[in-house]
Amino acid sequence: MASRITAAAHDDRPTFQEAAVDIVNAPSTALSSTTARWFLILGAMFVLGVVGFVLKIVDAGMDDRASWGYYVAMVSFLLSTAAGAPMLSIAPVLAKANWIRPVMRISQLFSAIGVLTAIMSIPLIFLLPPLVEDEVRRRSIWFGSPAYFPHMWDTIAIFGLVFIGLALLWSSSLPDLAAIRENGGGRRQKWARRLAPGFIGTWGQWKALKMRMGVLSAFYFLFLVFTHVLFASDYIHALVPGYKDAIFPMYHALTSLQAGVASVILATYFFWKYGGFDRYIGINQMWNLAKLQFALSLLWFYFFFSAWIVFWYSRTPQNEKVIELFDHGPYMWAFLGTLFFSFIIPMWTLMWNFIRVSMRGPTILAVVIIFGTLLDRVRLTVGPWSIEDINEKFLTEIPETVWPDLWDIFMFIGMFGGAAFLFLLVTRLVPAVSLWEIQQSRLISKPAMYMRGEVEIVGKPD
Amino acid sequence: MVTQQDSPYKWGMVVDVDRCTGCQACVLACQVENNIPLNTENLYKQQRIFAWIRIERYWEGEFPNVKARFIPILCQQCGNAPCEPVCPVFATYHNNEGMNVQVYNRCVGTRYCANGCPYHVRFFNYWEPVWPESLRNQLNPDVTVRSRGVMEKCSFCVQRIRRAERKARGEDRLVLDGEIQTACSQACPTDALVFGNLKDEDSRVSTMSHDTRHYKLLDEKLGTDPSVVYLARVEEKEGAAAHG
Amino acid sequence: MRQGRQLDEIRINKELLNGALETPAWWKWAVLILFTIVISGFVVFGIQTNKGLGVTGLSRPVFWGAYITTFVFWVGISHAGIMISAILRLTQAEWRRPVTRAAELLTVFSLLTALSFPVIHAGRPWRIIYWIFPYDFARGLWPNVRSPLVWDPAAIGTYLTGSTLFLYVALLPDLGVLRDRTTGWKHAMYGALSLGWRGNPRQWRLQTVAGVLLSALMLPIFVSVHSIVSWDFAVTPGVEGWNSTIFAPYFVIGAVHSGVSAVVTMMALMRWLWKWDNFIRPEHFDALARLLIVVAVAWFGFTIVEILFSLYTLEGPELAFRDMQIFQWPWAGLFVVFLLTGFFIPVTMWLFKGVRNSIALMFWTSILVNIGMWLERFLIVVPALARKQPFVYTWGSYQPSIVEFAMMAWSFAFVSMNMLLFARFFPLIPLFESKEAMIFTTEMKIGRTTIPAVLREQE
Repeated sequence: MASRITAAAHDDRPTFQEAAVDIVNAPSTALSSTTARWFLILGAMFVLGVVGFVLKIVDAGMDDRASWGYYVAMVSFLLSTAAGAPMLSIAPVLAKANWIRPVMRISQLFSAIGVLTAIMSIPLIFLLPPLVEDEVRRRSIWFGSPAYFPHMWDTIAIFGLVFIGLALLWSSSLPDLAAIRENGGGRRQKWARRLAPGFIGTWGQWKALKMRMGVLSAFYFLFLVFTHVLFASDYIHALVPGYKDAIFPMYHALTSLQAGVASVILATYFFWKYGGFDRYIGINQMWNLAKLQFALSLLWFYFFFSAWIVFWYSRTPQNEKVIELFDHGPYMWAFLGTLFFSFIIPMWTLMWNFIRVSMRGPTILAVVIIFGTLLDRVRLTVGPWSIEDINEKFLTEIPETVWPDLWDIFMFIGMFGGAAFLFLLVTRLVPAVSLWEIQQSRLISKPAMYMRGEVEIVGKPD
Repeated sequence: MVTQQDSPYKWGMVVDVDRCTGCQACVLACQVENNIPLNTENLYKQQRIFAWIRIERYWEGEFPNVKARFIPILCQQCGNAPCEPVCPVFATYHNNEGMNVQVYNRCVGTRYCANGCPYHVRFFNYWEPVWPESLRNQLNPDVTVRSRGVMEKCSFCVQRIRRAERKARGEDRLVLDGEIQTACSQACPTDALVFGNLKDEDSRVSTMSHDTRHYKLLDEKLGTDPSVVYLARVEEKEGAAAHG
Repeated sequence: MRQGRQLDEIRINKELLNGALETPAWWKWAVLILFTIVISGFVVFGIQTNKGLGVTGLSRPVFWGAYITTFVFWVGISHAGIMISAILRLTQAEWRRPVTRAAELLTVFSLLTALSFPVIHAGRPWRIIYWIFPYDFARGLWPNVRSPLVWDPAAIGTYLTGSTLFLYVALLPDLGVLRDRTTGWKHAMYGALSLGWRGNPRQWRLQTVAGVLLSALMLPIFVSVHSIVSWDFAVTPGVEGWNSTIFAPYFVIGAVHSGVSAVVTMMALMRWLWKWDNFIRPEHFDALARLLIVVAVAWFGFTIVEILFSLYTLEGPELAFRDMQIFQWPWAGLFVVFLLTGFFIPVTMWLFKGVRNSIALMFWTSILVNIGMWLERFLIVVPALARKQPFVYTWGSYQPSIVEFAMMAWSFAFVSMNMLLFARFFPLIPLFESKEAMIFTTEMKIGRTTIPAVLREQE
């Protein structure tokens, strides 16, 4: 049997040296005038966001819960896109997937946006009402704990997540930073010397790197779930009287995976098209990402329906109020948007092979899904934050629709600007495609011929 | 689920908890009227007794100031019954007179309705009912005898309702208030159970259901919309016992 | 290094067909014993039909007990099939190959067993059967499609149809081999069943496409079947302990946990009984154990969230239900056993490579898991009913009777017996998959190390 496999006629994959030169010196890592211009634009957007934030405080103060709903939605959105993206560097690795290797660094880069998430989560401490107000305690997952527990633990969770994400990014870039330190020049070499002073690639160092990444990945996953459970429970679930939805934190976590994959697809496309990495990222990556995206979009519907069927079937007054608040009441426009953009459109497009096996197809759908996630966070957050009396036993009055005001729009622009700014900044320091992963995948797989057909032999080490 | 034809009747009941003495005459009357299987000692041990109307008794306080609280609970004939949507064979459905009816010959005994009912008022025939020879003549010919494997519950003595409706139709009029007495309301010595037409504004049931003491069981939380209205116990004023 | 011997096609055929073409000595005795248990089960069911459900331990308010638990249990086991054959096929995991057919078979028979439990637990089972076949259209009354008990047979029936088709499509090449090696009535039977299989490229392509399509189409079923079964419980607002939105994914992931463990049990038995050491190797158990660790941890996470949110409202009946389930004897004992056998003991053991590669230890831990998972369903169904709503006067308890234990034993014997009967006529390990495995699994030298490798078609 084994004798029927012969060596390939030619191997046109880039060699180690070619890959090193390509990746270390890729256009996307340079600080050209185009990138400088982008930094200015994105920086200006972020400043606009800060202006919006300050004016909002002046206008509405920190006590008017209803006007801050969109701000909380933004933090939820960041947790759902940027925080979910690094999971792609964790989950497929467990399955020993080889296709993920070029994309791993791209997904880890999103940890940089965590800095913005962490900063934006600080005002939340002041915005969230305490658990006990006027001697009345709201129902929450904290039961009899002190009234400041949600504020404390949620912030710890978000900061912990961001820290672990950055640690993961730093750990995984050590070998590449070492390559830049040796072979790069200018400002980047200076930074690489600071960030990776001692990595020289000994056997012990590689082993430590792998172990560190394994432990950090496991902790990232645990913290991600922990953060989502806490955030969804404290900032959304506990604010709606009479709402009891066990799947809601899991729904929040799952949709963050969906939006995370979408973010990675978007970034992958940009690096393929404009970043100079087209020899390393290709159709194979996009195709597999699209399959994941399809599955996660179907799961959106599954998690939504699991909650909806229980509420709808029960016909109890409080469950009907809950469905009205989130689905067909004041935020029906956002709900229909999510239904179409996060589920129906992705399902009916990603179902087709010709769309999955293309570069632009999954990218366009990624934009659609990110937009759908934004609408989803709006509908889930703004409604509960505009409820008048959050301490009563059952929800009696559905609040009116709250539309975003000018400061909210400024803050949205600022959020996108700030996130893109951070992402762009980190690509100046760290190559967007992981050099050492490319080299490892080159070692682990090689083209061959089986009889007259072209095949690939992929190693599956333990 | 409501049916298409509108009916002038919506049968309901008022239970005055203040008047209830816990004598269980209603339980016995119901058992006799509706051919309910006998509750033997074995059946009690198996936790399978039948009591279409039951008196729940709760103890309150410490000795020597112990009080017994009674509340008669029967099928609430919910407008939004949780037992109705779950029956796979439509053996229980809502009729146009506001009642939740049980169709014995359609029931296959999945017992899903009993799980859905929050008031525990549904009863399952775990055994084939057997009456001793001496009691066979006591069986009511207007009511079927259910076989094993069939679900049953309070029907507001639907046989009496139908008989009165037939009579009224024959006389070209509507059923009068007080013309129908369910077995339990007929037997109650303190008149704690009152049955009638809730759509009739002047009926006793309608008037009593607007009393200041009125409440419904579990309606606020579960939204079942029962047709049975309870009148709360009037609490003793402090020191009343000292005055005798 | 690669485990097991490299065999050529002739040896593969010989070793895998020894179950179908020659009967091992133990087979007759095993089937006889199982058949006795099955027949006893039918007799006991007859007694129950005659006397009524009073012979069980069910009462009021615990109207559902061991039968429904066992029903959910078998639906859970059936998820093994799709997980192994469909999902692992779509993710191109090589180590699925020896077990796909046995897993699909387990699915088909456990679904049949599961479908029989609604009949067993109904008050008038004879009515269910003649009420369905033929259906009485004359009264203008359809089944109540709003009832989850009508969704159940629809979902399970779809899954059963899909699995049977999948099993058959995957069986075709082996039926061709069997047809060519037998004479007489067996030859005629295999000939009819193999539908003219010649093994030419066109047929192989059709067979592969059919397998891939069925795998993809069955994936929504994978998620929806156990979700629908879980909604039997979740949609009842009256039972506080059941009214949880998380039931659907919680049950599905529990089913994967339970089903894949059942596959491990089955694989160990197959290796021991038919001496298929070359085909079922420690590396398969290692891979399955890793999958199980991920699934079990996810399941445990869901369990914690479910308990957390069920206590959320801090209302009397919910607290009483959890108190009964966790702190009151004998339920507390069952709860501890459930946690230990369903999660803590197996998962802790699976973390060690030595355990994962030991067939005996994998066998025993997988059995522990299924004991735990049966208890999990039992602890969900019964205490919630026993502590329903604030009418404390009518709260109750439950203990399964000997009749219910007999029917549970019947279900295990029924599935096992059918699997053994199948093995008598058809090979339990797919021949063509094993031959493909010999091609697709290879080795690779990197520097001085040799690692296992797989073949992938060029993208």
